[in-house]
Amino acid sequence: MTDTPPPLLVAEHLTKRYRGVLALDDVSFAIGEGITGLLGENGAGKSTAIRIFLGLIPPTSGTALALGRSTSDALDVRARLGYMPEHDCLPSQLSAAEFLTHMAEVSGLPPSAARTRAADTLRHTGLFEERYRPIGGYSTGMKQRVKLAQALVHDPAFVFLDEPTAGLDPAGREEMLALIRKTHRDFGISVLMSSHLMADVERTCDRIVVFRSGRLVQSGELTTFTGDTATVFLEVDSNRDRLAAALERRGIVVSDGGGGLTIEGPDESVYDAIRDALVEAEAPLRRMAPRRRALADLFEATAGTSPAGRS
Amino acid sequence: MAESVQAGRAPGTVFDIGYRSYAGRREGRGRGRIAVFKNGVRTALGLGRGGRAKILPWSFLAILTGMALIMVLIAGAATRFAGPAGAAKMDLPSHVDYYGIASILLFVFAALVAPELLCRDRRERTINLYLVRPLTGTDYIAARYAAGLAVMLTAVWLPQIILFLGLTFDAAEPVAYLRASWLDVPRFLLAGLVLATFTTGLALLTAAFTDRRAYASVFLVGLFIITAPFTAGLASDIQGPAGQWLSMFNLTNIPMHVNDIIFGELSDVTKDAPAGKLPAAVLVGWYLAWTIVPGLVLWARYRRLSP
Repeated sequence: MTDTPPPLLVAEHLTKRYRGVLALDDVSFAIGEGITGLLGENGAGKSTAIRIFLGLIPPTSGTALALGRSTSDALDVRARLGYMPEHDCLPSQLSAAEFLTHMAEVSGLPPSAARTRAADTLRHTGLFEERYRPIGGYSTGMKQRVKLAQALVHDPAFVFLDEPTAGLDPAGREEMLALIRKTHRDFGISVLMSSHLMADVERTCDRIVVFRSGRLVQSGELTTFTGDTATVFLEVDSNRDRLAAALERRGIVVSDGGGGLTIEGPDESVYDAIRDALVEAEAPLRRMAPRRRALADLFEATAGTSPAGRS
Repeated sequence: MAESVQAGRAPGTVFDIGYRSYAGRREGRGRGRIAVFKNGVRTALGLGRGGRAKILPWSFLAILTGMALIMVLIAGAATRFAGPAGAAKMDLPSHVDYYGIASILLFVFAALVAPELLCRDRRERTINLYLVRPLTGTDYIAARYAAGLAVMLTAVWLPQIILFLGLTFDAAEPVAYLRASWLDVPRFLLAGLVLATFTTGLALLTAAFTDRRAYASVFLVGLFIITAPFTAGLASDIQGPAGQWLSMFNLTNIPMHVNDIIFGELSDVTKDAPAGKLPAAVLVGWYLAWTIVPGLVLWARYRRLSP
């Protein structure tokens, strides 16, 4: 028997209202260890949720727990939380080494430990060689790394990353996503990553929380949403039209598109019919596989439906 | 075994020791406040920054100290050429006059230092990184205020200490001078605190309302320098109680009147000011109002600040 680790963030019936605007509406979810993606459009309530967990604003009603403690004890909790904002926030005049040492001290680390942690963190984020240069002269990718480094320098148990790949070129984005994975895998620090980019979330996160208009739309393991579908995709080297006709003659409904044929919801018996149709059409099979869902499909599917958190 | 491992290592190999979690002491909010204070002092004096960041603060400190040295040299020359009795009759500027003489420079210094402490953090949005740590807006502004005050105290006390040491060692009988003048030390320390608190509060308050350092500095310099001749001219034209009250709006003189009360004599810059004739309680109350209210407004502005 194994003990399940307690969740690191818990929201119970969390509601936040700003002067008549409902930013969060009775939201409940729990986030455990790992990398969690926080998805939603602008104004969906992502930033409001992060600000509540950081203890920067109180909820109008409901409960928010971070690391097992109420966010009303924000100062103690914040010593073990990290936050990487989306916007620019770095002092241009300071070197990365001095800035990180300072931020570690502000988080409560003694000066000697702060210096050691700053050097270690800069090494792990790939900035060690450049650590004495003023941050103002860094590239966008390097600045993003400094932003991540300042969130990690005090060795938090949990870190919030707000649009960590914003403004990065493809190579920089790859490096940042690799760093985020490393943050959990190697450093043991759990992550809540807010992003608009579903591809980033799909490639990095273990689970997702999706907001729309202040409500919880979905939450759970990423594989639940991106797993295999009941749709089979067939790709052949030639004779695709003949194959489609052969399948239809056997009573199978097919749709042509995306470089192949798609068969919705086949049962086991269909596979024999597909084999026979391939032989009849003399179509060399290149690939036959269940289609996987993409997160974008989830958004399309849930658009206009009532939020899951409310049903 | 150890030898074989050692033998297999290439000279100068760097080993990746991996990520090390921090299991040491966490000192919480107190350490955070000290860190913001230390960073404030370093920022104000340009320490750890490039040469350009050091030019202005250190030039001002050098000029302020130089003024005290010149006063020491003048006093020494007067004693040598006119004798101790002759020098005493000359009524040469001393501790009571120093702050008045240096006040404009001190105000300009405050106008340069305060925006460095607040404007850059807001302009570059670094303030947001402070507020997501175990630190409140009140902690941040209190630590920045303390840093500004510490730098201003250095600027006001250091020249006075040099002046005191200079006058002591330049005196014909240093021990006798010490016995006669030791009370000047607590007086100039207290008067310096009065001046530093006043300038720090007003300068930080101005800096709290703009994220552009240049705007804050120019506004402050204008405020301190322009109100002096403007109010002095009007007060002398109007005269009477109205003139006295108008004279109280001469910002550079507000701490100087308290300076006079502390030293028990009028300094060169306030001896002709109509406000100087008002009761001491009014002058001290007026000073406290101009010190406490800006502090409260500053606190109110930062207290509920959030990213």
